[in-house]
Amino acid sequence: MTVSNTVDQYTIMSGDRSKIKDLLCNRLTECGWRDEVRLLCRNILLEKSNSSNGVTVEQLIAEVTPKARTLVPDAVKKELLMKIRTILAENEAEN
Amino acid sequence: MAQGHTTASAILHNFRELIKEPKGLDDAANYLFQGLLDDVVAGIFIEIHHLRKTGNLTALDGVGEENAESAYRICEMPNLDIFGISTAKKPMDCTCPNCDRLVAATRFAPHLEKCMGMGRISSRIASRRLATKEGSSASSTSTSTYLQSGNTGGTDDEDDVDWSSDKRKKKSTQNSRNNGSKKNNGKTF
Repeated sequence: MTVSNTVDQYTIMSGDRSKIKDLLCNRLTECGWRDEVRLLCRNILLEKSNSSNGVTVEQLIAEVTPKARTLVPDAVKKELLMKIRTILAENEAEN
Repeated sequence: MAQGHTTASAILHNFRELIKEPKGLDDAANYLFQGLLDDVVAGIFIEIHHLRKTGNLTALDGVGEENAESAYRICEMPNLDIFGISTAKKPMDCTCPNCDRLVAATRFAPHLEKCMGMGRISSRIASRRLATKEGSSASSTSTSTYLQSGNTGGTDDEDDVDWSSDKRKKKSTQNSRNNGSKKNNGKTF
């Protein structure tokens, strides 16, 4: 069992995944990250559509993702990592 | 059912094993964060892609303002509003259709009432004035408003210009007569 498999299965099963996802979405919208990424996506899309048409969505997402990751503010990232850890740990304590 | 139960408990067991040590918990948190972040990025990307394909992206971008700047620049001169139009009030005058005088718009309604002879007192004044005014042009020299209105009533269809004076006069005289008779009736009974 790999880490990814276990964590995915467990969080989906316990319902924590959607909880954490909502929290993440809210924080990222609040700090303006969402708008920045939208702008980034828009620029990349416009630029690629002019040059060539043989690009897949996966390639474009692979191009956007690292840039988007660096755009996440440190405070938000720290807070969310801590929250995720708390949620996972408290579930363990409950069971 | 039994199969599902064992699988669920196996997942639970694996997970507990994983987060027992702090390093495993850190790994799990990091992995979950990155995974969810990637999901969100993919979601935003597809949202923008959808907007572009449906043409809503150009609508969101809107029209550039640089060329329209001069046309829509906000004017900040004194005594002018933001469109550059003078804020000073223009005197609004209306021409009375009855006596062709210029009347201020605010005074137009009261003037028209007097001029055309609505109401009891002014109707008498107006009808007298109209009678003297039209006495020269009309064939009949009678000063009775009732007779005159009867005469002009026949010419109504022939020319449309006289709607402002003669028709109204006829109506108003009839109205005032009716009102008077009604009042009298009300008083006597």
